[in-house]
Amino acid sequence: MTPYPPLREYAAIGDGRTVALVALDGSIEWLCLPDLDSPSVFAAILDAERGGHFTLRPRQPHEARRRYLPDTNVLETTFTTSAGAVTVTDAMTLPGRTLGPARELVRRLEGLSGHVPMTWRVEPRFGYGAAPVRLESQRPYPVATSGSDALAICAWDAGSVRCDATGMGADFEIREGGRATIAMITAHQEPLVFPGRAQAEARAAATVEFWRRWAADLAYTGPWRDAVVRSALALKLLVFAPSGAIAAAPTTSLPETIGGERNWDYRYSWIRDASFTLEALLQLGKRGEATAFFWWFMHATRLTLPRLRVLYRLDGGANAPERTLALEGYRGSRPVRIGNGAAGQLQLDAYGELLDAAFVYAAADHPLGRDTAHDLASIADFVCRHWREPDAGIWEVRADPRHHTQSKAMCWVALDRAVRMARLGRLPGRHIDRWSTEAANIRRFIDDHCWSEAKQSYVWYAGSEELDASLLLMAIMRYDPPESPRLRSTIDAVRRELAAGPLLYRYTGDDGIAGGEGAFVCCAFWLAEALAIVGRRDEAAALFEDLLRLANDLGLYAEEIAPETHAFLGNFPQGLVHLALISAAMAMAQQ
Amino acid sequence: MSVWAVLAGGFVGTLVLTIILAGANYLRLTRMDISFLLGTAWTEDRSRARVVGYALHFVFGLLFSLAYYAAFLALGRSGWALGAAFGLLHALFAGTTLVNLLLPVVHPRMGTSMSAADSAPLLEAPGFMLLNYGRATPTVTILAHLAYGAIVGVFARG
Repeated sequence: MTPYPPLREYAAIGDGRTVALVALDGSIEWLCLPDLDSPSVFAAILDAERGGHFTLRPRQPHEARRRYLPDTNVLETTFTTSAGAVTVTDAMTLPGRTLGPARELVRRLEGLSGHVPMTWRVEPRFGYGAAPVRLESQRPYPVATSGSDALAICAWDAGSVRCDATGMGADFEIREGGRATIAMITAHQEPLVFPGRAQAEARAAATVEFWRRWAADLAYTGPWRDAVVRSALALKLLVFAPSGAIAAAPTTSLPETIGGERNWDYRYSWIRDASFTLEALLQLGKRGEATAFFWWFMHATRLTLPRLRVLYRLDGGANAPERTLALEGYRGSRPVRIGNGAAGQLQLDAYGELLDAAFVYAAADHPLGRDTAHDLASIADFVCRHWREPDAGIWEVRADPRHHTQSKAMCWVALDRAVRMARLGRLPGRHIDRWSTEAANIRRFIDDHCWSEAKQSYVWYAGSEELDASLLLMAIMRYDPPESPRLRSTIDAVRRELAAGPLLYRYTGDDGIAGGEGAFVCCAFWLAEALAIVGRRDEAAALFEDLLRLANDLGLYAEEIAPETHAFLGNFPQGLVHLALISAAMAMAQQ
Repeated sequence: MSVWAVLAGGFVGTLVLTIILAGANYLRLTRMDISFLLGTAWTEDRSRARVVGYALHFVFGLLFSLAYYAAFLALGRSGWALGAAFGLLHALFAGTTLVNLLLPVVHPRMGTSMSAADSAPLLEAPGFMLLNYGRATPTVTILAHLAYGAIVGVFARG
């Protein structure tokens, strides 16, 4: 049996700084410390031998089922054996102002019936499994250290802890009504802070309350509320609290095809996601997160203005050099990459996303400030100078740059939003005529070079006859009005050419990288939204319902799903999918 | 030899010592965080603890420089070499007696090999020569105190 569970068997828990993936069998197989984009301490998901893990399970054959505690990111797994049942509640506790561990993962056990022999074992492997680890007992706590990082286990009623050369663990038995708690605490560049049992359990309880309050404050009252709330909670897991940045996903190199080389590091914030994110946060009533995110990306981009990097580190830095790790990869999918080489690509659509995000933010009565307004105007000027260049496009193709239709359309969006903000007095208006003229030129270019009479559709890139799913964004970004015949026939053509059941491939042509991939889940939600926008709500709702059935048992999605097997592929959970879900639900709610 | 010069040396020496410790921390050589260790004796608030800790650290740096001053006076000489020798003694004292015997007595949240967190959280005990905070910690501590002592010695000599 493969040591790698299917990706849909993972759950995500987090604390606003980092995210852990917990498998259905109770094993934590991905955790980076101290932050989401730091090196991993558990990476068994990428290398079962060398990656490191934290297992906790019955010692007997068992069945497992799980759920998030309602409206939280706290996971409850129930193990049932022939001798009894036990629940394990996993929470990454949220730090308070009082003295506590820098990061803390609390696993609380409660015996439901009978008596269940349990075992737990922690094998920490710092630095993606490459850093030397020292394991020792600082009585009564087993401690693992590596450089400026440390990890310790505080266990109560969870057996007599053994510490050996490779890890630490214990066997114990839990009876009906019995309770046990295991707290994994960590420190980075400081001494460990060991909590008492009552403190660890109180923090875990406070964490449940925090998530419930956060979910209760969501403003969404439309249909499919459970799915929208779960997506919002998944998105909140990706918010890096210290800066307000939002990571695309908490993982790296989960493969887009098993055994393939399309393995990328998503622990960065993509400017492309900015307007989706802001719109979703604002509509969900999360103005605090929206404001933090807006100012984060305005500050991050200031270093490179008017040129934008495709992605930024969560601390706002612009460098993300790509390199490979000596890990086996999920089910042998090599290479395992960290960093992201797409960072330096020219992707013109990002400019439209950023200006649309600013437009959405300003339209919600948020002040922009004089400097920011000047920065946004300089971005619009940049678009005027550069929209004629070929680029890597939204799909970050590593083949030669092309004149991607969606990139051109987003350049039009950039200038359209700049003009509209200038007319409202939110941006300096001295270049408004130039912005309007160039916007018209872009539209003419798309009409002349990016439309296929044969397919009755906009095409992937100028002069081609291929389609791609990003064309749906022309509806979502209101490039064309809903009644536009070109827009309507493009939606039909994209569905006709790229659909696989309810799912959608992003394209079928060559992208310069070997191997295939699954269907991009966000594209299918875009299709649902596009259908809703052009007034085909029933079709949109039916598709949306089909897509909801493809989530895992917890309501989470990976970046891709294999149409034949419905296996998850790619990084998990992916923010853009959950953003697209929220956006589609909102579009239908507004119909 | 002026007491003001020695105090100035104590201030500059503490500054350099702090930079060396912070640099070693950044370079992943040690998890020792002197401001965190000292400040958490006063408050459980992490942010406030670091501010208080830095203030205490500089006060202690000045007080130790006065002890150096007394020793320089007693010996009738000073200079960087003698200061560095005092710095070595200072580091050994800090790494053995100060943090393991004296600090747990006055620090309500400092763990020892005999304690366990119960009603209040406990800081990881430093261990002999602060080895629990990383194997390079003794080396870093000694180097930082050698620098501190040498600077106080230079200032004392004028």
